[in-house]
Amino acid sequence: MTSRPRLATDVNYVNGLAALALFVVMAYVFMTSDVSAPAGFADGSIVASIGYAMFDMLDQGAIEAEGFLVAFIVIALVLDAALDGAVMLARREDDEQSVTALADGGFLSRTKETSSERRSDGDSLLGRNDGEDAGSSDDGGDD
Amino acid sequence: MAIESQYYLLLSAAIFCIGVYGILTRQNALLFLMSVELMLNAANINLVAFSFYHGNLTGQVFSLFTMALAAAEVAVGIGIVLVLYRNFEDIDVTKAATMRW
Repeated sequence: MTSRPRLATDVNYVNGLAALALFVVMAYVFMTSDVSAPAGFADGSIVASIGYAMFDMLDQGAIEAEGFLVAFIVIALVLDAALDGAVMLARREDDEQSVTALADGGFLSRTKETSSERRSDGDSLLGRNDGEDAGSSDDGGDD
Repeated sequence: MAIESQYYLLLSAAIFCIGVYGILTRQNALLFLMSVELMLNAANINLVAFSFYHGNLTGQVFSLFTMALAAAEVAVGIGIVLVLYRNFEDIDVTKAATMRW
């Protein structure tokens, strides 16, 4: 199942020229523009000011910023939704054997093997197949 | 002595174009995810550079939120790659040509 890494030979280098052309255009525009010297930050702790800006306590920060409390809440909800989405996507359709190590990404569950063969195969992938027959039940599984 | 802002923009453009290059040339879904991350982080460099340019911390705080959004995106993306592997036994993005199978 596993194989050593090989150099990719199916790379489409011609399409990559578009990215190179994009970089040339962007570099030309940036280097020919006259940008004045950066203003820089006022004296004071930048990290503390970031923390105050994140929680809408702008009067305590040394450096000017905007409040981000609403964005903070929204990003918390988005991360929660992403976690739920990832779990939903990773869950198997036939939810009967979900404890074994998914060293194969769930590929073997689609083949016609029995669950005991699958379990011993997972053990061999983990390197501990020392004399264990397929019927033993010492895997701490859910059966 | 501060670095001039053009060089931040040049670095950002270079990283962004490396991401575009990866998306245009590769067919592996995981490499797609990595390339999208490069493009997102190029935008972060621009945010931080212009934050310093204007002397306002808004760009730096916003780049933190962009990083959190990138984490959420990767979580969903890896879930999609897992489903792709389960259904096609491969993570070549050109094999999944339909929305439904």
